[in-house]
Amino acid sequence: MADIALQGITKKFGSNTALRDLDLEIKDGEFFVLLGQTGAGKTTTLRLIAGLEIPNSGKVIIDGHDATNWNAAERDVALVLQQYSLYPRMTVRGNLEFPLKSRTQNFTAAEIKERVDRVAETLQITRLLDRKVERLSGGEMQRVSIGRAIVRQPRVFLMDEPLSALDANLRDVLRVELKKLHSELGATFVFVTHDQVEAMSMGDKIGVLNRGRLVQVGTPSEIYAKPLNTFVARSVGTPPMNLLDGVLKGNMAVLDAGKFSLPVASPHGGEGNRIRFGIRPEDVVLDDSGPASARVFDIENHGVIKILTLDINGTHLHATVSAQTQVHIDDTVKFNWRPEKVLCFDPSSGRNLGLG
Amino acid sequence: MAQIDIQNVQKFFGHHQVLKNLNLTIEDGEFVVMLGQSGGGKTTALRAIAGLETVTSGKILINGTEVQDRKAADRDIAFVFQSFSLYPHMTVRENIAFPLRAVRMNATDRDKAVSEVAETLQIAEHLNRKPSALSGGDMQRVAIGRALVRRPQALLMDEPLGVLDAKLREQMRAEIKRLHIARGSTSVYVTHDQIEAMSLADRIVILHDGVLQQVGPPDEVYLHPTNLFVAKFVGSPVMNINAVRLAGNSVMLNEASQGFHFPDQTLSHARNAAGDMTLGVRPEAVVLAHQASEGFVEAVTTNIEPLGSHDIVDVRIGGTVLRARTESAFVSGEGQKVWARIDPSQAHFFDTATGLNLRGAN
Repeated sequence: MADIALQGITKKFGSNTALRDLDLEIKDGEFFVLLGQTGAGKTTTLRLIAGLEIPNSGKVIIDGHDATNWNAAERDVALVLQQYSLYPRMTVRGNLEFPLKSRTQNFTAAEIKERVDRVAETLQITRLLDRKVERLSGGEMQRVSIGRAIVRQPRVFLMDEPLSALDANLRDVLRVELKKLHSELGATFVFVTHDQVEAMSMGDKIGVLNRGRLVQVGTPSEIYAKPLNTFVARSVGTPPMNLLDGVLKGNMAVLDAGKFSLPVASPHGGEGNRIRFGIRPEDVVLDDSGPASARVFDIENHGVIKILTLDINGTHLHATVSAQTQVHIDDTVKFNWRPEKVLCFDPSSGRNLGLG
Repeated sequence: MAQIDIQNVQKFFGHHQVLKNLNLTIEDGEFVVMLGQSGGGKTTALRAIAGLETVTSGKILINGTEVQDRKAADRDIAFVFQSFSLYPHMTVRENIAFPLRAVRMNATDRDKAVSEVAETLQIAEHLNRKPSALSGGDMQRVAIGRALVRRPQALLMDEPLGVLDAKLREQMRAEIKRLHIARGSTSVYVTHDQIEAMSLADRIVILHDGVLQQVGPPDEVYLHPTNLFVAKFVGSPVMNINAVRLAGNSVMLNEASQGFHFPDQTLSHARNAAGDMTLGVRPEAVVLAHQASEGFVEAVTTNIEPLGSHDIVDVRIGGTVLRARTESAFVSGEGQKVWARIDPSQAHFFDTATGLNLRGAN
């Protein structure tokens, strides 16, 4: 069990600053997801917590102790990587026993057997225990990797995109299993991903990283509904939030595209000022008496829903509609949006003006 | 313009049969997408149409003429590969013009045809560049341009967007669809991506283990899968699949819980089941409620995936877990008692042994 705190962390690789003055608190037992694109600094953050990197400045605090200069073994954390990093010629059992047989551990054979059997049961790999790793499927290998991390019963699990090499259906299954595992073990999980679906569906908290800076930390619903800026707004949601430039006039957004006037329930940013209006695709509604019109540029059919790309003289926006909606490419449609869901952003800084 | 007929086609690689008695008619101007996992036979079928692969037996007809023994070059069909396969030492203009040189078109007509295609694909500004200076999306546009410039009878595409990143893939997919609408040429497109198939196709052809599983418009494949393979392959999250039995008008998931009451007329197919039966229900057909009412059975939430626009909620009913699609924050946490119903009009009954939908083929 462990709280983790990063305080004022800066990490440079040569002239490249990977992390800039990063402050982060992860509570004991939390499932914390670091979300960001390649190069955002998420893996570096994870490696700093693991003790595989040393910061140029700042502190890593584990359970109230300054662990900045502790080595990886002293930190009692387990790392699960995207690549499985198992011993291919050993059996599954051999791989699971391995961390318990290291010189720093003093387990009896009976204890080792008991732990391995219990972990195998948790991950539903008991039937694979005597098989060679090289004969397993990708999903099975990733389960074994997770098993090898669990078997030591560390205080913290660090996971670096553990699901991204798996196919979509298997990812669906393992997402649920990892969450279940987290609630059973009660340990602190730090999970790195670039996949916003994983972040939204697994995290107690999400930390959004952009170019070495932590932009926002919040619950999935906070990140989704109250993004601090346009970067966060666009980093969650499928498709991402629409951003449309225009001018605020009273309770109306006058959009540059088409000069359409649409209602805004909570206007921010000042009368007559230029605003970047944010609206999620599911809050754009087709409405025959709607104030705006557009041409249907594309229809993405998901069976349960359709995602329309609407074109207003070259400006595109997405609208998620029910599967029953009858539309065709190049149809002209009228639309409105849900006024209470509109966010107002500063067009130059990207800041959400509704958040004080 | 072309109608393509595939008749009783078999294809073996050594002892391994990759196409098993394939029959399919692709109408003139139609956009057909072949969907399946790798090894399903979809690429082999496409290559057989193109003449890049011979068939072991059976016929392929283009506009009524047998072509199975003709060389690829004599079939007047264009092929776009996943890898861009452009000539690196030639400019974009020369790459696109290449197929026209091969047929000895004169320079004026050639330039006109190249400009027209470049215009359509929005690559006119790149005509004098080498492929290496282009982005992945533009390279694939050039490859498509080179395929289209001859005005072939049909355009065949083998996972043309497979190597592009997600955003570009979405954009290129829209462009390919619009190009098809504008040109009206018969198109056959291979992919393993069900969203691509659902979004592009007039009809989807699903192949598995060399056997054609279902042919139909996207919504038909989604709403009326002919067998368990199609049911599980199309749709995300995957359809709930569970062994069930009937007790009167109740559909029983297991012995521990109460069954789901189905009206008589929705059970006529299920009652004909000869052996064990499997129920398929998509997450959107599992309806949750906070209060008990008729048709709902007691359930407990076991996992919630909040996705912003909606949630995917797992509920346990007796010992069985079903996934439901709900509006955001409909349930507040795990371990919560709720009530669940299955929409009978969106329930599918399959014969467990054969995998066939008991409703029969459409």
